[in-house]
Amino acid sequence: MDENAYLTSIIASLFYLIAGSRLLRLSRRTRERPELLLGLYFALSGIYYLGYNLPSLLGDLVPEWVGVVVEWTYILGVFPYLLFTRSVFRSRGAWGGWIVGLCSALLVAGTLMLTLDGSVEYSLDNPWYLAQWVGYTTPCAWMCWEAMLYWRSAGKRSRIGLCPPIVANRYLLLALFAGFQVLACLSDLLLAHEVGDDQTVSRITDALIGGTEMASIALLWLAFFAPRSYASWITRRAVILPTPMDG
Amino acid sequence: MATNLFDLAAEKLESSIDMDRLTSRGTLRIALKEAGLDANKLTVPQLRAVFEKLMPKELDARGFSNSAATCRRVMDEIALSAGALDIDTSTSPDDVFKRLGGN
Repeated sequence: MDENAYLTSIIASLFYLIAGSRLLRLSRRTRERPELLLGLYFALSGIYYLGYNLPSLLGDLVPEWVGVVVEWTYILGVFPYLLFTRSVFRSRGAWGGWIVGLCSALLVAGTLMLTLDGSVEYSLDNPWYLAQWVGYTTPCAWMCWEAMLYWRSAGKRSRIGLCPPIVANRYLLLALFAGFQVLACLSDLLLAHEVGDDQTVSRITDALIGGTEMASIALLWLAFFAPRSYASWITRRAVILPTPMDG
Repeated sequence: MATNLFDLAAEKLESSIDMDRLTSRGTLRIALKEAGLDANKLTVPQLRAVFEKLMPKELDARGFSNSAATCRRVMDEIALSAGALDIDTSTSPDDVFKRLGGN
């Protein structure tokens, strides 16, 4: 990877840690599960991204087992993400549970087999890598889909004063964040495809990783740390229907 | 006998104005869709907003007069009878997303 891609990845990891700790503090105050689950996801993702970049920064100083621990840290973070989506958007109905179960099985099986292999080979020819990839990409795509659906209906609720416009906008921000995570996952596939030091593929993956991380930071900042000017801009733009009067 | 808020609202609408069952339920469903609400997870404040802001237009479109006053009257009747219903009070995604931003 290019140095700039590492830099954006490290900035993203720090931001995930900040967002995660903020949500975990919030969950301690509210004693509610959704913020705890999302907080765990961001905190563990932050640790993962930091750990993922350690070998590039410190070279041989980092022992090999760190890579395995880092890999499992990310996988552990995906579970609360799945449970967040399930408990917030699909608490009723069995199929949400099926997605959680299927993704969890793919993640554990894929990561376990990659760990036992010892090589941690990210190759499209390795079925365990593909199982793991599906296991961590599906939760992002699912979150993107659900948040996008809720953004559409929240916009309608905003018009009749049932949902604050900034909350409706937060659905969109998290949907876009999850969409960029899907793009980042696709860039993982490109990395796995990268054979023989193909410079073109390498530049595309670097641009994708760097771009998606920067976009993700911006979206999370607006979602969780929205400045007042942004919140009032969103509120001003919202259309609230008047109450009709007879006569 | 209505078992949820949607059924109750449709029944009240049907009995208060000259509207058949199919039309009252259909009209209500159209208004709920326009409001971005799920008929199975309705709350009284949500229904009140629908009856205040959207239903008058729907009734106007179907040729009913004094629609706003009618909607207010029907909604008051619904609110009086809603206490006997088992209404879903679980946390909605809107509540969660509101908390996530700290507002």
